[in-house]
Amino acid sequence: MINIILNEWKMLVRNRVFIYLTIFFVLSLILVVWMGIIQNSTQQEYRTNAQKHVRKQWDNLEAMNPHRAAHYGSYAFKPNNLLNSMDGGINDITGNVIQLEGHVQNEIVYSEASQSLSISKFGKLKSSLLLQYVIPLFLIFLAYGSISNEKETQRLKLLIFQGISMTRLIFAKSLSIWIYGLSLLLITIVFQSLLISSDPEVFQRLALLILSYGSYYYIITSLATYFSARLKNNTSALSAILATWILWTIFLPKIWGNAVEKIHPLPSRMAFKAAMKEERSKGIDGHNPTDKRREQLKNKYLTEYKVDSLQQLPINFDGIVMQEDEEYGNLVWDKHFGNNYNILQNQKGLYQVSGLLNPFASLQSASMGFCGTDMIHHLDFLKKAEDYRRVLIKALNDKHAYGGSKTGDWGWKVDSTFFRSVQGFSYNAPKINDQIGHYLIDILFLLWWVLLITFLIKLNTNKKIIL
Amino acid sequence: MTRYIEIARSEFVHLVRSPFKTISLTLFGLAVIYGCQNGYGLFKDHKEQIMAIKTDNERSIDRMIIQYEEIEQGIIDKPRRDPTIPYWAIWNTPSYAFKSPSPMMVFSLGQSEQYGYYKRVTNWSTIFDSDLAEEIANPERIAIGTLDFNFVLLYLAPILVIILLFNIGGLEKDLRFDNLIFLNNISKEQWLLTRFSFYYILTFSLLFILTIPYAFFSGVFQGDGQQYINFLLIILLYLLMWFTIFFLVNVSGNGSSDQAVKMISIWLAFCIIIPGAVHQFSSLKYPANYMTDYLDVSRDQSNKIFELPTETLREELLKAFPTLQTTLYAADTSLNKGIINRSLSGLVNMLNKDVARTIEWSSEKKNKFVRSYSVLNPITFFQNEINTLTDTDYYAYKKYRDDIQVMIDKKINLILQDTWNKVSVDKEKYIQYVGSFK
Repeated sequence: MINIILNEWKMLVRNRVFIYLTIFFVLSLILVVWMGIIQNSTQQEYRTNAQKHVRKQWDNLEAMNPHRAAHYGSYAFKPNNLLNSMDGGINDITGNVIQLEGHVQNEIVYSEASQSLSISKFGKLKSSLLLQYVIPLFLIFLAYGSISNEKETQRLKLLIFQGISMTRLIFAKSLSIWIYGLSLLLITIVFQSLLISSDPEVFQRLALLILSYGSYYYIITSLATYFSARLKNNTSALSAILATWILWTIFLPKIWGNAVEKIHPLPSRMAFKAAMKEERSKGIDGHNPTDKRREQLKNKYLTEYKVDSLQQLPINFDGIVMQEDEEYGNLVWDKHFGNNYNILQNQKGLYQVSGLLNPFASLQSASMGFCGTDMIHHLDFLKKAEDYRRVLIKALNDKHAYGGSKTGDWGWKVDSTFFRSVQGFSYNAPKINDQIGHYLIDILFLLWWVLLITFLIKLNTNKKIIL
Repeated sequence: MTRYIEIARSEFVHLVRSPFKTISLTLFGLAVIYGCQNGYGLFKDHKEQIMAIKTDNERSIDRMIIQYEEIEQGIIDKPRRDPTIPYWAIWNTPSYAFKSPSPMMVFSLGQSEQYGYYKRVTNWSTIFDSDLAEEIANPERIAIGTLDFNFVLLYLAPILVIILLFNIGGLEKDLRFDNLIFLNNISKEQWLLTRFSFYYILTFSLLFILTIPYAFFSGVFQGDGQQYINFLLIILLYLLMWFTIFFLVNVSGNGSSDQAVKMISIWLAFCIIIPGAVHQFSSLKYPANYMTDYLDVSRDQSNKIFELPTETLREELLKAFPTLQTTLYAADTSLNKGIINRSLSGLVNMLNKDVARTIEWSSEKKNKFVRSYSVLNPITFFQNEINTLTDTDYYAYKKYRDDIQVMIDKKINLILQDTWNKVSVDKEKYIQYVGSFK
């Protein structure tokens, strides 16, 4: 087998067009990786500046009532993961800014896609675009004629007469092309890792990317070689593998993507907001002094502190009401946003199942996931931002309640020393070890396809195909 | 002429006898129907949602009218947000800005999934409010994209054309009888052109036949007929572009496989690599805007306005809105904090408009950059041309934002005029307000 592989490589290297194309691919990959990193770091710089700007404003807040500061709020800017330079995933589509303020859990807004004309339906030219679309297609072009050419020139008969096993020949031919694809992948990954970081987390993610892309390239080259062996001529083999490629990369992802949204439908924004408003109205209205539930809370505190009026309370009851309002709101947000997040995760799970029929779906999902740019990572950011909002607003409400002011004293102010003492928002992307469970299904389906194609070649190819 | 008809007739026989081509043609037809159905579904959803909001608004107006009647008859006390004050009456006047879908949306969803299409407008609204964000949807699904007609036309039609054309002239070379054909007193170019024409007419006819029922269903011919004709012209032009490229490939081709490889490589370059490269360059030159200028207005600069003394605010308002000079309150020398507080949205709105102009201008710069690559990047050009016709492009939503701004201005002017004229709102006046925003 090794001899056949070496022989195939000798043949490939003798072909000038192949050499030129390889040089072109390597340079393109290096250029695309470099451009991706530049774009990522420029965007990251903008993001850091925006976050610093907002923090500076917070640190320099003039003396004000803590509740006013809660309305002033803060903003969280979605950071780019290091490997966003490789696969942008959903980052162009989702918003980048989320407002963190009292009384409400906001949604993330201002996506890049909404800031200009529509450009590319397949995303930016990052290395993932080349690795997912261009290189597999090139591997197909190398593989589709690998056996059928031998058949058409009658060389196959010669090879078989010399005693070589048909299965071994197919494996050797497809492995020789797979090694080529793998080399291009490794060049990309090595260059990527040289330019970005020595963080073990990044290496772990890159290793998983090698596994995913490596498996996909094996599937593509083996299937193309299999078609080349089974079908009567070059044209049929090329037609069959191209039809499969189009089905996998263009048709199925879109059709199945639409289908999962119909199977697990999300509420419309209108229905979502109306349901939250309805439930929210059942809690305390922090800004309505005639609210009945506020009255009940007042009585509870008067009893607890053994006083007759709010003025006698040693604390500021307004702050207590605001926090109570917040706690109730949090339950409502958790329920409704939580429900949406569950639906989104169910949709993702169902989409991943399509990997059973379409290895490209598994590759795409794994690539986004391992680059930290998929929905799971996005939802993690939203959750962390919301957690921070709750901590921030509670700190402000507690200061309002227990900071030394009395009920009704809306003119009471705290100075910037207090505001500076509240930690700013910082976000660390989740570790891949903690998230790997979400992507096991993608890896399993890719491996299932590797096994399936291997068995298909092993069980379904014999000397008869040369007849 | 007879010869050309004969070539077309034998081409038809060739097509019918090729299961790969007929299956591809059928699948393509199904994809067209699926794409149009997706567009039609979203078009209907948008219309239904807008109708539901309008019905809801009618109910809310009825409730308000009853409230006015009960206040006037002394059945109930005025609530905390007194509806006889113009500010609260206008606040309670349901005023939604809608981006009504064009019936042509059936053929392209365009950027409709990246923007909201309804918004409750108040005097505090801005054109960058978070409720203008897109409908709740799975971002991975949006990133993968929807199979609408636009996608089918721009990305799948060339693939269908490749399948139909890759062995035209190639098969004869594969079987080495191509020279026999040219013994029949016909040039290679003429022979290929006739065969290509057959497929050009076939592909266009298929698209026309499958899209016309959807044009009828969605009501395109009730006002958007011209758009549909332009749309067909774009389809003709787009297909012509691909047929021309593939004609050149086949004229110089060395057999079916060679032609297929070249065709699919060109498709890959035009549909994936070049748009992706332009996308990447545009992001490098114009990174995503974090809208800090807008955020500054909505927080810091607004706060500075709120901090100003009432007297200064009154002067600022009179300066910014000269028509207020003739109002009752302008003639009054006493300071009324309530009137000033209810007028502040006017000053904040001016700041918002200034910053919005800057943001829209920076987006326009990016758009110009994208358009400057149209010659190299024809797919994005055609994509945006179709989106323009279907009213789902960036500019359709910019116009929607402009309409929202007009509505905000109208609300603020009404509030200012009636607040400064110390108008007391009754049922009739409220109905007038409602009429202003219908």
